[in-house]
Formats: sequence, C-alpha cells, structure tokens
Amino acid sequence: MLKISNISKRFGRIDALKNIDLEIEQGEFFGLLGPNGAGKSTLMDIIIGYHKPDTGTLFFENEIIIPEKLVTRYKFGYVPQEISLYQELSAHQNLKIFGSIYKMSSKELDRKIAKVLELVKLSERKNDTVKDFSGGMKRRLNLAASILHDPQIILCDEPTVGIDPQSRNAIFDMLHQLNQNGKTIIYTTHYMEEAERLCSKLAIIDEGKIIANGSLNDLIKLSEKRETIRVRKTSGIISKADFLKSLGDVIELDYYFEIRTEEKGKQNSELFLNLEKEGIPPELIELRKSSLEDVFLNLTGRSLRD
Amino acid sequence: MKIIFNLLLKDYIRYFNDKPAILITFAVPIVLIIIFGSIYGGGGSPRGKVKIIFVNESNNEISKIIEAKLDSSSMIQLVKKYTPENEKTPTFIDEEKAKQFVREGKRSAALILPNDFFADTSSSLKFKFFYDPKNEIESQIIQASIQQTIMMQISDLLPVLMQRKARDLLGGEEAEKFKNKLGSVIGEYFDVSADTIVDAMTNFKPGSSSGFSSSDSNETNILSDIIKFESEQLVGMEISNPGVTRIVGGWAMMFLLFTLTATATSLFEEKQEGSLKRLMCMPVKRSHILWSKYIFSISLGVVQLFTMFIFAWLFYDVDIFSNFLNLLIVVIASASAAVAFGMIITSFAKSINQASGIATLIILVMSALGGSWFPIVFFPEWIQVIAKGTITYWSVEAFLQVLWRQADFSAIALHVLILFSTAFIVNFYSLIRFKSGKIF
Repeated sequence: MLKISNISKRFGRIDALKNIDLEIEQGEFFGLLGPNGAGKSTLMDIIIGYHKPDTGTLFFENEIIIPEKLVTRYKFGYVPQEISLYQELSAHQNLKIFGSIYKMSSKELDRKIAKVLELVKLSERKNDTVKDFSGGMKRRLNLAASILHDPQIILCDEPTVGIDPQSRNAIFDMLHQLNQNGKTIIYTTHYMEEAERLCSKLAIIDEGKIIANGSLNDLIKLSEKRETIRVRKTSGIISKADFLKSLGDVIELDYYFEIRTEEKGKQNSELFLNLEKEGIPPELIELRKSSLEDVFLNLTGRSLRD
Repeated sequence: MKIIFNLLLKDYIRYFNDKPAILITFAVPIVLIIIFGSIYGGGGSPRGKVKIIFVNESNNEISKIIEAKLDSSSMIQLVKKYTPENEKTPTFIDEEKAKQFVREGKRSAALILPNDFFADTSSSLKFKFFYDPKNEIESQIIQASIQQTIMMQISDLLPVLMQRKARDLLGGEEAEKFKNKLGSVIGEYFDVSADTIVDAMTNFKPGSSSGFSSSDSNETNILSDIIKFESEQLVGMEISNPGVTRIVGGWAMMFLLFTLTATATSLFEEKQEGSLKRLMCMPVKRSHILWSKYIFSISLGVVQLFTMFIFAWLFYDVDIFSNFLNLLIVVIASASAAVAFGMIITSFAKSINQASGIATLIILVMSALGGSWFPIVFFPEWIQVIAKGTITYWSVEAFLQVLWRQADFSAIALHVLILFSTAFIVNFYSLIRFKSGKIF
C-alpha cells in the first residue's frame, strides 16, 4: 500500500535518515520502534509532507506520491506527538475547524464529528474547552481530530506520551478498533511493550537507519540464541558488581545487572549455582526471554532507552 | 554567600543567552536617546529648522534686513522658491501660492512682506502671516521666532516710526517743531549738538544703531501699534477640538503597531502548541495559513482604530464622519502596512522571544521617528529623511490630512499608495519565505 524507497534526510551536519526502505501493506498495524532521536518522527514528517526528503520516493498503491501536494494529504491522518489543539476552544469547535479543511458539507462534517466523538468517548464533553480536559482526554481528542476525514492510513507519532496507563489502554483500544475496521496504522514508539502489544509488523530504526524489519516473531528470532539472567540491584548486589561482571557479558541497567549468555540450558544452570554460592538470594534472580529490547540491544549494543 | 553568587551567575548566563532581552535592554534605549537627543539638540547634532514659506514683495531696505535676519535664524528656515509642474527651474513663491501650500499642508506657515510693507510715508510695518496650526508646538516656534526677529529690528526703526506717527497726528509743521524740540532736549541732556540729533532722526540708516531692548512688554504694546501683523489661520478653523484631532492619528498608529506584535508572535504560539504543524500536514497551503493570519490581524487593527476614533468622537468631539470614506481608506492602508511588518518579523525571527523583542524595537523606533510622539520637523534633516522610510510617518500624515484638513482623496493618494505598496512588498517577501519553508 505504502512503499518508502531510499528516503534520506539531512539537517545541517546530521543525517536524520539514511536510505530508508520500507513497505507497509493494507490493513497492517505497522510499528516504527526506536530510541529518541532515531529518526522516527522525521520519517513520519516526510510521509505527511511536513519535510521534504533529500532523496527517495514514496509510492502509494504503486504510484509515486508527492506528500506536499494537497491531494495526497487526504489519504493520511496524522496524530502528532504534541497535543495539537486549540486549548481555549471546545472539543466540538476544534473538530469543526480541522474538519472544515477537508471540504465536507456541514451536515457530513457534523455526522463525522459525532462519530469520532463517540469513538473517543468524548460525546458528553464536546462543549467543554480543551484546556479543562485531562491529559488522556486531550490525547483522545488529538486522535479524533486526525481521523475526521476517514483517511486510509493513520500515522501516530508517539500518541500516548505523558498519559496514565488507563488512558493509554483506551487509546490502544481505539487504534485496535480502527485497525479492525480496515485502517492501516503506522505507529512510532520507543516503548517496546507498546510495539509488542499493538503491531503486526515492525521496523526498528536507529541513527536514521532501519536495522531490522519484519513481524514480531521474525524479530524475536534475531535474539533467540541468547537469553538473559537479571539480578535485581540492591546495595548488597551492587557490592558484588565485580563478581557479576566476571561471569560474562554483563550490562548494568537502572534496576538490574543483566547477564547475557550464549546458550540456553546447562550454562544457565551453572550460572544460577554460581550466583547462589556467592550468596545472592534466588528471589533477586530471574531468567528472561528475548524481547524487542533484546533485539535492539543485540543489533546496536545499546538499550532502547539510552 | 556562595549560593547567592551561583544563583546570580545563573541569572547572568540566562540573560546573556536571551538575545531579545539584550536587544530591549540596550538597543531600544540607545535608539531612543539618539532620537530625543536630536530633538533637544544634544550630542552635537543640530536640531532641524522649521521650514516656512517666505515671500518678500517689498523692495524696502528694512524688508531685506528682516529677510537676512530670518535667513540666519537657528529656529526657522525660509522657503522662497518652488518648482512648478512641468518646469525645471525653480521660481519664487507669491502670496497666492504661499496660501495654497499652507492650505495643502505642504508647509505649516507663510510670512509675507507685502508691497506696502514699509512705504515712505507709512508709520507702521505691515506683515501678513498665514498658518496652519496642525501642530501646536510647531506653530508656537514659528510665531516666536518671527516675532523675536522683527522686534529686534524694530528698535532701530523706532525714532523714524515715531516721527511719522507724530506727523500723522499733529500735521507737518507741528511735527517738525516736535522733532526740533526733541532734538534740543536730548542734546541738552546728553551734551550733544541738537542738530546732530535732528540729523540722525531725519536721515535714518537702518542697522546703524545699537538699538535698545525690545523685550520689555510695555514697549511691545507700543510697538503693536506700529506693526500691522495680519495673521490668518487657513486650516482647521472649524475644528471643535484641535488638540485631540491633531494627536489622535499619531496615537492610533502607535496602538496599531502593537497589533503588529500580536501578529508577529501568534504564529509562534500556534507552533508551540502544535496546532500549526497539524494544519501544515492537512490539505492547507502555507499561503492559506499566512493570508488568514494577515486578514485576521488587519481586521483586528481596523476595529481597534475605529474603537479609538469613535471614542474620540464621543468624548472629544473629533469629527470622524465628514471625511469617513477617506478615513476608512487610511485606516485599512495603515493596518495593512503595520501587519505586514508583523509578518516580516515572523519570517526572520527564530523564536517567540526574538519576534517579541524585534517588534518592541520597531514599535518604539517607528513611533518616535514617524511622528506619533512629536512632529518630525524638530529632527535634524537626516533623521527627517529616515523618518520618511517609516510607515508611521505616512500614516500619521494621512490621518492629519483626513481629520485635520478634511482633505479629499487626492491629498492622501500618495500616502495610501506608499502604505499599500509597503504592505504588498513586505508581504510578498514574507510569503516567499513562508512558502519555501524557511519559517517553521
């Protein structure tokens, strides 16, 4: 449906994107996972025409598209990272203003406003000013304002930043519902939990390059050869840091020491024994399966949240 | 103490990283000091002379002396010639042309020394003074300067004028007796020959006497009888509140410039809150965003100005309805130009603070230079030339034409053209920058 071919973008001396190639199919929930500054938002900005790429081409249904052209923008619904609403206006007024840009009749617009307000569960509060909304309500309205024109592809740029888990789940449910109804969704995040939960296909981006691309299972396989043993940090454990580091490939995280092993099974058992011998209580030790975090770690040598 | 020092250091670092704050703190006062200093003649910069039209139709030697004295005045500058349309060589202004120029607002006053300024048999000097009190301070300066120059010269003429007055009152024979008697009394008291005194009185040589002070008010009263000063106001006679009518345009323009700041910063505010980016990702041209902002700001400026004018009409009886259509044209032209400046600031500024700082600088400089605060005639010539490069100047002058002079469109056509042209050029440039994505 959407093909991104050889897209590059440079800001001054910084290569924000380097030869990006991606393909997103109709009805996919496509995740773009990467740390802050990886180039996720820049890629989104190029797809929606906010920035021009230095090189590369975008194809929509096998035809070249120029996102800066106004006609192309009807195809996309963009949910910005910021709360991009007029705070002093009501929810209904905001939707009316943004919706009117898509040249709908007043009647049709009113019908669509009612529909999206229903979807984001804000019908009861439609006449309240946005500044009086909670963070979660603002995020929901932010989403509503982007889908009024019934776009074919919805681009969500970290749409759950700064909200509580309950509101985050509500947005996930809404996006899931939209995806079930046939909308293609491109979703950027640096939370691997979000990506794992929502996305049917993923690309991992780092320093402007796609470093992995495929389904969740495909990506997990990239680190299946490695399991990790985590030892929770306490003052007693910190004093044993040298011992832990002598056991192999150890990474110090905020709350854990993470010991990475080459093979499963026997080697891990020996490791557990060594830890117990050193007096480390078993309740501080856990065996972790591979995750996207590990995939990223494997591929870049860094944590997603570095 | 160390904590205070560290906190102090923090404030200095933050301040010096804030370029707009530095601009407002230092550049604005420096610019204003230069402007005020120019007006009050400080800093080695001579204050501008007030230009008045001068017509000398008399061949009398006294008139030439007065002309020479006025020519050397530090307060006023005489304009004696003009270049008629379709001609290359300047010609002397006559009385009718002088009146026309004052009526049209080209000059604020005209001093005429007529043919019969000081006839051989006349016992008084005759002046004609035409003026347009569009600016009170300017009018006072002109009148005071002329009065001072004339009075200083009158002292030399006093004996002759008194003899002629005596001849008018007493008849030739009695007047001759009076002169001889006066000569003998003066001669007796000052131990000088009476014939010398009589001869000096009879054969008057202008400028030969050291004269006597004419600053005494009693003497001025006496002199008023022998100076015929025909003064005629040519403009604004029917205006019921000259004071407010004169200044309302200048103040209106200054407040309009504050709209400029709002224009300059509002796009940055929308950028900060994210709504601008959302718009730019929708089927909206960048020019649509700029034009909607521009039209909104102009409409706001027009409403703001009319609120001021209606207030001036209600409470100060300023006549805004006799020439309403022209007033509306000037208001729209002024608002268009002011808002265009807001747009150009937006296109160059990199942040809301920078836009706000530059806008403040422009408001103060344009208001001071363009005549919102005081007439630009008080500036040195070079500043007056710069002043004509401000939209405030053209706007304030146009408001004066419309409200003070009740002039028709032909009188404001140039002003309106310049304001709209400025708006067009400045906006066009902003639009190019905005469309090319150099802003935001």
